[in-house]
Amino acid sequence: MAKSFETVIGLEVHVQPNTNSKIFCPCPTEFNAPANTHICPVCCGYPGVLPVFNKRALELAVRTSLALHCTINEKIYFERKNYFYPDLPKNYQISQYALPLGENGHLELSGGKKIGITRVHLEEDAGKLIHREDCSLVDFNRTGTPLLEIVSYPDMNSPQEAWEYLQMLKLIIQYIEVSSCDMEKGYLRCDANISLREEGATQLGTKIELKNMNSFKGVKDALVFEEKRQRNLLLDGKTLSQETRLWDEVKGKTVTMRTKEEAHDYRYFPEPDLVSFSVTASMITEQRQYVPELPLARTKRFIDEYGLSEKDVEVLISHRWSADFFEQSSVHFPHFKQIANWIIGPLLEITNAFPEGFSKIKMSPGEFAKLVRYFSEGTLNNITAKKVLTEALTTGVDIDKIIQEKSLIQVSDESELDGYVSDAVAEHPKSVEDYRKGKSQALMFLVGSVMKKTKGKANPKIVREMIEKKIQQ
Amino acid sequence: MNDLSSLKAVDIVQKLSQNQITKEDVRGFFNKRITDLDPYIHSFVKVFTHLSPADTGLGIPIGIKDNICIKDEEITCASRILNGHRAVYDATVIGKLKQAGFLIMGTMNMDEFAFGSSTENSCYGPTRNPWDITRVPGGSSGGSAAAVAARLIPWALGSDTGGSIRQPASFCGVVGFKPTYGRVSRYGLIAFGSSLDQIGPLTTNFVDCAYLLNVICGHDPYDSTSAQVDVADFSKSLIDNVEGLKVGLPQEYFRQGLNSDIAKAIGEVAAVLKGRGAQITNISLPHTEYAVATYYIVGCSEASSNLQRFDGVKYGLRVKSSELLDMYKKTRGEGFGPESKRRIFLGTYSLSSGYYDAYYVRALKVRTLIKRDFEEAFKQVDVILTPTAPTCAFKIGEKAEDPLSMYLSDIYTISANLAGLPAVSFPCGFSKGSLPIGAQFIGRPFDEEILIRMGYTYQTVTDFHARIPLVTHG
Repeated sequence: MAKSFETVIGLEVHVQPNTNSKIFCPCPTEFNAPANTHICPVCCGYPGVLPVFNKRALELAVRTSLALHCTINEKIYFERKNYFYPDLPKNYQISQYALPLGENGHLELSGGKKIGITRVHLEEDAGKLIHREDCSLVDFNRTGTPLLEIVSYPDMNSPQEAWEYLQMLKLIIQYIEVSSCDMEKGYLRCDANISLREEGATQLGTKIELKNMNSFKGVKDALVFEEKRQRNLLLDGKTLSQETRLWDEVKGKTVTMRTKEEAHDYRYFPEPDLVSFSVTASMITEQRQYVPELPLARTKRFIDEYGLSEKDVEVLISHRWSADFFEQSSVHFPHFKQIANWIIGPLLEITNAFPEGFSKIKMSPGEFAKLVRYFSEGTLNNITAKKVLTEALTTGVDIDKIIQEKSLIQVSDESELDGYVSDAVAEHPKSVEDYRKGKSQALMFLVGSVMKKTKGKANPKIVREMIEKKIQQ
Repeated sequence: MNDLSSLKAVDIVQKLSQNQITKEDVRGFFNKRITDLDPYIHSFVKVFTHLSPADTGLGIPIGIKDNICIKDEEITCASRILNGHRAVYDATVIGKLKQAGFLIMGTMNMDEFAFGSSTENSCYGPTRNPWDITRVPGGSSGGSAAAVAARLIPWALGSDTGGSIRQPASFCGVVGFKPTYGRVSRYGLIAFGSSLDQIGPLTTNFVDCAYLLNVICGHDPYDSTSAQVDVADFSKSLIDNVEGLKVGLPQEYFRQGLNSDIAKAIGEVAAVLKGRGAQITNISLPHTEYAVATYYIVGCSEASSNLQRFDGVKYGLRVKSSELLDMYKKTRGEGFGPESKRRIFLGTYSLSSGYYDAYYVRALKVRTLIKRDFEEAFKQVDVILTPTAPTCAFKIGEKAEDPLSMYLSDIYTISANLAGLPAVSFPCGFSKGSLPIGAQFIGRPFDEEILIRMGYTYQTVTDFHARIPLVTHG
């Protein structure tokens, strides 16, 4: 009988908190600037320079630790991680080792499983190497950018679970406004550790570290590949040796980067150029205010409190903004399903096309609620409501004003519509004939022609009834 | 022209500010002395002939150890590895000096990266002691001490990690002051041991010392380890009165290995102070014997990491190779001198996994014990009096092959760095062989004032500090 194996996965995630300046110098953290324009003697490790800690990075790290239910160490200090590499100008990285900022937290997946967090700590990023045919160049712009390292316990048992963990972690960090977690910009990076052990074994199997995954899908694919590779080796009776492997996305496989023997001795020791820092009770209290109800709890509440479907809630919750906007709008017009529909449908459709997403929309939740109400009361039809919505979102003008200026109020008055309906029937005898023969699409065509002539203002329901009546006369 | 060599630096400052002499004359005077005498002493790495006194405020001449960054000037720490490197910014202390109207005359020789006690470990060759040019000036701030002793400059800045200001001051017969750790910004000082390094003045007397300390001390937001402690006006500590102050003589500092002339001279300092009303007491600093070992582990560990940035990638020397690792090895192999390599090895070893707890962590624990020794001692006394070094200046080459005996030159100065305390060496006599002897005061944290007061009082009744070496051709 074939042996069965349990997969054990732990993830090490680096998130760049959205500070304006670097962690130990005042250089900006702006993305995509021309090479070596956001640098100074400090982040380039010139002789004689000293680091000065950016407290904003600490605040955001505290907030993240709180959101991940970590114990926060009151006094923290930095250590040096020593290794030579050209993208690391001092040839040591200022990081935290023995005493991380946050410890022993957890993150709950939507299925209810809790994944332990061993540590949350702060460190500085390295630069970027650009390899040319005849030389290699270093861009130090990213050097000294703050990073939060979030390390999980090996609590995940499948690549799918690892993927869910990443999704939830990203959502939480976006909710607490610590980072956009944009992987393309390198604001979130993930390394994975995976090992297999025989079902029921208590000892962990040999750990393989995976690097170079550029998307959540890449993480999942690499883990799926590695899980299979390791299982096959173990089934063949082979033993694995501890190593670091790189994910090759093009070839869809992992390759050895370095073995355990080649692993660095980082010679960590306390950074003597920085003093220790106190995480004060007031800083914790302040940062706790920025930790809102987390996505999972909010999902449950939205389903219970607003009676929305799981599917709808999933969409609303996927961005803190849309969930907040839903709740704020609902206060003004407590027809939850309709508000949700208008957010999930037209609102997201319009804002997804905005280069900056909905962060720059100019419409208030109150105005939005009013729009949904007008629609449900029949003042606006589907077409005019979307028209008003698009305009209000980009200009911030009150919807009443937009409706008035464009005279978009839905016309339901039969006497006003009568002329349009008569014209439509007179102008399209073929369609009238078709309808009489039982082709129902013909009726829609006639309604459409009235809508066109009234520039979308006509109440389509009334128009339809009027046309039916007219044809049957 | 006036002979300025017998004047205090502050007198030159006064003459400059009252227009009694021109800054061009002052510069000319010292430049001539440098031209005439430095070929024998070799205290300068580089004489700044390109700087014009007209561009500086008062034009007060000063020399700067070659490990403190002066914008646009070459800075090498006397190492080949920084060959050709120019500082891109001013160290905080240099900014303060420029603000205060100083004219930097040049950079002063030193042991490579401040690793040494003789200024022999310099890629530029050794500096010689102006009292006897066959002897070392001490180190690592040997260039600064020798130049001040020979009056090639009225004063200088040095740096002190384990005695690098005080030991050469004692060998050259000048006043060398290491302030409390955190008193002077380290921003722009190329680090040796970050938790030990302090910049400080080398002067001929305590009046000048107080003046220069006033210029360079104070909190600096660019140095997180600089203390947010108010700085007194040190000129107010120039008080000729030590009545009732308690002076402790640590018995551990007067045991075997101490030259008898020096022991006698320190006894005479105590007698002078007693004569001025101070109370002399014997005290104990029981962990003294561990100081040297502790220092070499802590200092070298930090140094091994601090010196990693010199890799040929960004600045200084690069020995080309097509392989990265090979480029690192060749650059560092050719760039660093033997003592630097020795200390990098020592530090790397003591931080390595498997050895870290036995060496680095243990050294930190002993460091705490040494600190506590002083806390206990300062419950009984106001200031501690010790010899600065166990011997007077030794011959060039005498200890070059024996690093351990070289390391012991700092046996009395190291503890103040480990404990972060202010300490000063000042001239207190001459050996039978006519070499200067230095005595050391150690004070409580941030109590530089008492050291200045003690030293000033001592110098009002002695004249060792006023003697000028007659530099001869051997």
